[in-house]
Amino acid sequence: MRNARRDPDPAIGERGLKLIIDTIPALAWSARPDGSAEFFNQHYLDFVGFSAEQARDWGWTAALHPDDAGGLAESWRRIMASGAPGEGEVRLRRYDGEYRWFLYRANPLRDDQGAIVKWYGVNTDIEDRKRAEQELRRSEAFLAQGQRLTHTGSLWWDVSTGEVIWSEGNYRIMDLPTTITPTVDLVMQRVHPEDLPIVRAMLERSTREGATFDLEHRLLMPGGSVKHVRVVLHNVSQSAGQPEFVGAVQDVTAARTAEEALNRAGSELARVARMTTLNALTASIAHEINQPLSGIITNAGTCLRMLDAAVPDIQGARETARRTIRDGNRASEVIARLRALYTKRAFTLESLDLNEAIREVIALSQTDLQRNHIVLQSELAPDLPAVTGDRIQLQQVTLNLLRNASEAMADVQDRQRLMRIRTEREVGDRVRVTVRDAGSGLPLESVGSMFDAFYTTKSGGMGIGLFVCRSIVERHHGRLWAEPNDGPGATFSFSIPRRPADASDAASVLMTA
Amino acid sequence: MMKGRVMVSVIDDSEAVRESLPDLLRHSGFDADAFSSAEAFLESEAVSKTSCLILDVGLPGMSGPDLHQELLSRGQGIPTIFITAQGDPSLRPRLVARGAVACLFKPFSDTALLDALEAAVEKE
Repeated sequence: MRNARRDPDPAIGERGLKLIIDTIPALAWSARPDGSAEFFNQHYLDFVGFSAEQARDWGWTAALHPDDAGGLAESWRRIMASGAPGEGEVRLRRYDGEYRWFLYRANPLRDDQGAIVKWYGVNTDIEDRKRAEQELRRSEAFLAQGQRLTHTGSLWWDVSTGEVIWSEGNYRIMDLPTTITPTVDLVMQRVHPEDLPIVRAMLERSTREGATFDLEHRLLMPGGSVKHVRVVLHNVSQSAGQPEFVGAVQDVTAARTAEEALNRAGSELARVARMTTLNALTASIAHEINQPLSGIITNAGTCLRMLDAAVPDIQGARETARRTIRDGNRASEVIARLRALYTKRAFTLESLDLNEAIREVIALSQTDLQRNHIVLQSELAPDLPAVTGDRIQLQQVTLNLLRNASEAMADVQDRQRLMRIRTEREVGDRVRVTVRDAGSGLPLESVGSMFDAFYTTKSGGMGIGLFVCRSIVERHHGRLWAEPNDGPGATFSFSIPRRPADASDAASVLMTA
Repeated sequence: MMKGRVMVSVIDDSEAVRESLPDLLRHSGFDADAFSSAEAFLESEAVSKTSCLILDVGLPGMSGPDLHQELLSRGQGIPTIFITAQGDPSLRPRLVARGAVACLFKPFSDTALLDALEAAVEKE
């Protein structure tokens, strides 16, 4: 190597070599052992816009950026002192006045005794790389700042290699030092034990099918505090079966806490409102019923007095007895009116796809189910025939059963909160909908009264739910019932005929609505 | 008990009461008349003839207590037995404090009413 550098290749010749040096796409130069410049190739001179004479010795330093001059002198001295190849970065002024960043590299040439006789150097334009680096630093700063402000983190996960990369924001959410190498197991250790089943189930599905992972769940932090996070992972892999996820994690604790407080306040308010309505309702029922009752009791009392008199007033007694009956009828009319008031909505029969109606209800309940950490399995029979019924009312029944099942599992901690909704065809041209939960089960002593108007085991409700459900199902000529499961929980089912038995039957359904 | 010319007026918007009470009253030896509102009673000649009022609290228009107050301010106070279907227990002491003879909650027994009437007539 050394020889090749010292002696020009005879095939190329001195002229040929100069041509190469002047043509290579780099600024080339040589310097004396004391550091003063001896030679610049044509590119160099063209770039700085100097003549060879102007640039010679220390003349070239006039093209240095004022801020870099000191630093360059220092690093050039260090390289020369070390006698070893060296490099550095510096800004040079172009002929038109614009400064550009260069990477300069210098190599010493030694004589046979090992003394340095010359330095050869090449400067490479790195302006574009510098700019890209700056851009990258800026966007990294933007990202870090943005993630800090929005409590988010980013992550990348190659499922086949198990490799995981986190952004700084992710470490902050997980409350782990950035020195730790992230793994999926590490994340699983942070997941709240109650949410582990659903996180595992969703993760398993995503890794198997490459499906998008989108879940809100809780983290149990080492200090015992709970964080709510929303995690979204998208599969960006090109090859099927080897998913590679890019995603984001957002700490939504503050929002969730506020929302929960609001919900608690809201449901308490709703309960109070219902109680208030109920109190008003009770007072007005009492008032309406007490009027005819008053008549009944006075008439009956007068009737007895008339019959007990020394000369019984048979005619008067007959009249008061007649009025007693009339006031009794008035009282029962009051009750009939009240009943009509609460079943006022028109009953609309249509042919409908029960599976589709139930899917809408499930979609509507999704957030609720997720918030309560419930895993819902739906087994909707693909061959379910269309039924004739009131779509909205049947959806209300389904919604109520889902909500009941969800509430029955609210206190379940030791097992998965699994809910199963199923539709199936029944013998006798009927369809059946079943909602099975793994909750607290049925209170044995009250299975009979469960469907009564004001029965409830919940502080949150007035227990109108199941009563209304049963009356809706009965209006469809169906029936609604509950059974305890073999394991934990209960199963609520309703079964309705595909269509009302005949036309007159349908008419009577409409009449009673 | 003083009987014969004692005139009792019943004021109640409930027809069941307007029909049943006068019969009981007449059978028990009183004269009785019935009105469906406080205004109808005030417009009638019964105001000056009535010895005892059986007055519903929750009348449409002028309420029972309002009528009671109105008669007192006119210097035509009549011993009054209030009757009510609302069943608010705090009502009774308030009405008695304002001079009512009694306050009966519907439905009341015939003896409870006649006992109250006896007290009212004695008061008069």
